[in-house]
Amino acid sequence: MGRLPELSSADPSSEARIAALQAELAAVKQRDAAFRTHMIQEFLDRGERNTYVHVLHEERAALRRREQESFADLELLVRKLEGAQARAAAAENALARLQGSLAWRLTAPLRSLRPAWGGGPAPAAAAPAVAAGVFTYYLHTSPFRIFREPRFTLRGWAWPEDGRPVTAVRVAVGSQTFIGRHGLPEPEVVARYGEQPRNPRPGFEVTFDTPPGEHPFSLEAQLGGEEWRWILRTTIWAEPRP
Amino acid sequence: MSRETDANTRWQESAATLGERSAYKRVWDRQAQDSEVAALAVAGHNDEATLDLTARQFIDTLRATTGLGPADVILEIGCGIGRVGKVLSQECHHWFGADISGAMLRHAARRLQGRPNASLVELATVGLQEFPRDAFDLVYCTIVFMHLFEWDRYRYVEEAFRVLRPGGRCYFDNFPLDSKHGWEVFTASASYPLERRPAHLSMSSTREELGIYLRKAGFVDVEVRDLPNELIAATGTKPA
Repeated sequence: MGRLPELSSADPSSEARIAALQAELAAVKQRDAAFRTHMIQEFLDRGERNTYVHVLHEERAALRRREQESFADLELLVRKLEGAQARAAAAENALARLQGSLAWRLTAPLRSLRPAWGGGPAPAAAAPAVAAGVFTYYLHTSPFRIFREPRFTLRGWAWPEDGRPVTAVRVAVGSQTFIGRHGLPEPEVVARYGEQPRNPRPGFEVTFDTPPGEHPFSLEAQLGGEEWRWILRTTIWAEPRP
Repeated sequence: MSRETDANTRWQESAATLGERSAYKRVWDRQAQDSEVAALAVAGHNDEATLDLTARQFIDTLRATTGLGPADVILEIGCGIGRVGKVLSQECHHWFGADISGAMLRHAARRLQGRPNASLVELATVGLQEFPRDAFDLVYCTIVFMHLFEWDRYRYVEEAFRVLRPGGRCYFDNFPLDSKHGWEVFTASASYPLERRPAHLSMSSTREELGIYLRKAGFVDVEVRDLPNELIAATGTKPA
């Protein structure tokens, strides 16, 4: 850049040049301001960052991410169920082969004599420690998922068809049991289904650990302070995110 | 009952409790239920002549503290109903008014009709994420800090630094406790029953606080002044 000539305000020609330069500077400032104003407005328009629309777009993007993650988990869950079914079918085949074998047939008389040996009756198929109940229920947070976090809180509401009061709620994951909170208000449920005289607040929540692996899962309610009945049984899979 | 008393009553009824103070969008949307209540909430009066007069007084303050030029691209944080913007937009290249309350901005839009060099932007949350960096010549925020928690005051100072161009100027004001007016506001606020303190209740700043915000954010040439209207104002410049 060349050096500007020295200007003196005492010199009339210099005064004119100063005025011209000042006008040029003002024009440059205006052009710069126009450019920045345009840039700001473009930024506001292009990014849709203005107003509530931006917030809605952010929320939509987050929901899409969640939807994609859910689809991926659902696919994984289906594969695991298919795997479990295949294992069950293979076990049934193996049992059928065993029962059709010569050795099984030859040892049949011995098995029929077993009570007489004092061995007592053959053990029944493993009876569930908790019997099934008949409930009207709904789960706000579904357990039918791949569990990614080390803990999960199951929320919902339930009451037994026989009208007994729910006096406790728990979840069994494998050999571990987790007692939850019950008697939580569910005004919308009451409004929809009517007041349940012995279960006026049918809401519950249970937080349980989800260690990595496959686990039997059981959601259970205690009725009338006595027996436990299961509301829902399934198998769950927990796989922390890589 | 006069029209203003009427609006005063409606304004009081529109106030949420102190626990909701951080829910700025909801708190100020509620106070913008109609234009008179909105004007009372942001300026303490609602006749147009007084609004214009106080806007001119503030612009004189800006001129004396930060300077004003016809080529300035200006951003007001918390512009409310556009009290200042309506007048200031006649003296600058472009005026942007940002507010967290969309309902306030609807009143501002009506008051700024016919001013092509005035734009209004609703902020999604505390901050100026809607605006690009290095864009403005002047960012100011007047009669707003008293309604914000300290963390949010500083957030706006930080954000002002980001959106100002190098060499850009900023202005932030609040009332101090050690002025007559400040003490009156304080004692009036203290008289609210504990459970009925409104969310927008005015809270003071110290000179030190405002100066620290500006310096921590990176501004230089920071000055904190006592203004004739008993406010204190901090000004600074983003290093070129």
